[in-house]
Amino acid sequence: MTEMINTLMETVMSNQVSIPLIEPMLDSLPEIPMLQYMVAFMLWKPLFALLICPGLTVGGITLLFFPWIERKLCGRAQWRVGPHEIVWWLGGVIQLLADSLRFLFQEVIVHKDAHRPYFLQFPFLSFMIFLLPLLFIPAGTIVAIQTPYAIQIILALVCLFPLFILGLGWASNSRFAYIGTVREAFMYFAYEIPFIMAVIAMIILYKTSDPLLMASRQSIPGIILNPVAALVFFIGAAMATGRMPFEIPDSDQELCAGPHVEYSGIAFGLIYVLCYEKGYILSALMTILFLGGGSGPAIAGLGELSGVFWFVVKTYLVLTTLYMLRAVYPRYRLDQGLKLGWSPMLCLALIGLAISLVEVGVMAI
Amino acid sequence: MKMKRMKKVVGPEYNLSEKIKTNVYAVGVAMQESVYPHTMTVFYPKERKKMPDNYRGFILFDPDKCISCFNCSFVCPANAIRMKEAPNKRYYPTVDYGRCIFCHFCIDSCSSGALKATKIHDVAYKDMDEMFTPTEEMIELPEITREDKKYVEYEIEEDDLHLKRTKGEDYLFVEVPQPKEIPMVSTCIDPDSCIGCRVCAEVCEHSAISASVEDGGTLRMKIDTDECTGCGLCVKECSMQILRLVKK
Repeated sequence: MTEMINTLMETVMSNQVSIPLIEPMLDSLPEIPMLQYMVAFMLWKPLFALLICPGLTVGGITLLFFPWIERKLCGRAQWRVGPHEIVWWLGGVIQLLADSLRFLFQEVIVHKDAHRPYFLQFPFLSFMIFLLPLLFIPAGTIVAIQTPYAIQIILALVCLFPLFILGLGWASNSRFAYIGTVREAFMYFAYEIPFIMAVIAMIILYKTSDPLLMASRQSIPGIILNPVAALVFFIGAAMATGRMPFEIPDSDQELCAGPHVEYSGIAFGLIYVLCYEKGYILSALMTILFLGGGSGPAIAGLGELSGVFWFVVKTYLVLTTLYMLRAVYPRYRLDQGLKLGWSPMLCLALIGLAISLVEVGVMAI
Repeated sequence: MKMKRMKKVVGPEYNLSEKIKTNVYAVGVAMQESVYPHTMTVFYPKERKKMPDNYRGFILFDPDKCISCFNCSFVCPANAIRMKEAPNKRYYPTVDYGRCIFCHFCIDSCSSGALKATKIHDVAYKDMDEMFTPTEEMIELPEITREDKKYVEYEIEEDDLHLKRTKGEDYLFVEVPQPKEIPMVSTCIDPDSCIGCRVCAEVCEHSAISASVEDGGTLRMKIDTDECTGCGLCVKECSMQILRLVKK
C-alpha cells in the first residue's frame, strides 16, 4: 500500500507546474497533514490542465462571463446599454449567473411528439463532447494528454459538433427545429472543408501537429506567416460558432431558435452556452495555430504560469473579436452563406495551402 | 417588329479595395464605440429626463389670489374646469383630469395669477371618478414617491461634438412672470338704459352691487368700488351690456 502511494507520488512530483512565486508557501506545507498531497495533485500538470487552465476554471469563467461581455460590448457599439439591471452598479456582471439560476429551477418540458430519450440526452451529451477537445489543448506548456496527433484529434472532435446539433433538431421533432437542422447541415458542409484546409496548411508549414512543438516553431507568429489561412480559419470559426453574421441555423426572426426551439429549463441553459463553448475551443485552437500559443514575454515569479497567462489573454482577444462581428454585420442568407463557403473561402483556403507549400520550399532551400 | 429596348438594371461595381476599406472602417468604429460609446440612455425608474422649462403639467391653485372671475372655466376648451362653491361662499375652480387636455389656457387667462403650472405629469389614479380633482387637492402638490431623485440631460458640446451628461435636481414649479395686477372696477356707462333686472347684483360674489329706489320711483343699481374686485362677472351677465371694466 505504502509502495503504491510512493510510486504514485513519484509520478505526480516528477511532473509539477513550477511557480517560483508560491514555492516558499509550498515548502511550509508538510507541517499540515494531507494538504501537501492535495496541493501536489492540484499542481500535477495533467490535473492542472483539467481543473484550472484550459479546463474547468478558465472554461467556467469563459462560459459565465463571455455572454455578458459579448452583450455588453455589442450593446455599447450599437449605442444601447446591454445587461444592466442585475447588480446595476457593476453593470450587470452576474447576468448569466442569474439566468442559469432561473434555467435550473424551470421545468424541462418534453412535448408529446419528441423522441423522449434522445431529446433529454443530447443536450448533456453534446455539452460533454464539446468539452473533450480541451484535453488536447495546451495552455503554455501544460497539457492533459500530449500526443503528436493532437491537432488532428481536436479537429475531428470539432467536426463532431454539428452531429449533435443535428441530433438535437431530430429529437425535437418540430418543423422549426427541422428547418434549422437542415440549415446547420448545409452550413456544416460549407465551412468545414476550407476550415480543415486552413489547419492542414498550418500543419504543413510547421511540419508537426504537436501543439507544444507548434508554439516553439512560431518565432514569427503564424498569422504573419500565412495570413490567408488565418483569415479562412477565422471566418470558418465564426461560421462554426453560429453567431450573428452566420446565425443561419438558429435565426431568431424566422425559426424562433432553430434546432433548440423546443427546449426549456436546464436543457436550454446547456444548449445556450454550447456556442460559447465552441467559440472558446476554436479561439484556443486559433491561438495555438496562428498566435504562438502561450509564448510571450516571461513574467517574473509566475514561472510556467506566464505561458498560461499569455494563452488565456490571446484566446480572450480572439474570442472578443469573434463576438464583436455581431455588432457590425447583418445576418447572411442561407444561399449567401453557402456561396461564401463554397467559392471565396475555398479559393482562399487553396491559396493559403499554396502559400504554406511555397514557404516550406523556400525554407528548405 | 422592332422590339423596345429594355433598360438594364446594373448592380454596384465590384471594388475589392473599397470593400476591404469599408469593412475595416466598420469594425474600427464598432471597437471605438464599444470603448467610448455615445449612449443616450436614461435609466428610467432611477433617473428621468429633464423637463422643459415651460412644461404643462399638473395645475396648482392659490385660493388667496383667486377673485372668482370664472375666466378659467369659461375659456376651458375641454370643459374640464367647473366652479364649485366653497364654504366661504366663493366659487373656486375644480379640474377633471379625465377631460383636461393640458392646454393651460386657464393659467394664461387667469388675471390674478392664482393658477400655476407645475412639471408633474405622472399622477396615478385608481379610477375615472378619482380624476376629478376638488379644489382642496389642487392647493398643494400631490404626494410624490418615486425612485428618480435626479434628472439627466444630454447636451452636445459644440467644440468637439461630444455628448455631455449632466445630472441635477429638477424644480417642479414652472416659473412664469406673474401678471401685473391692474386694479379694475366695474362701472355702468349708461345708467338710463338699465332695466333693473338685478342680474348683476345676484351674480356678484362679493355683494358689491346693491339696488336702491330713487325719488322718482326709478331703480338704480349702485356699485361699491371698495368691495368690487374687478372680476367682470356682472359685465358678462348684464343683459343690456351697459357695464364696463375700467381702471380704478
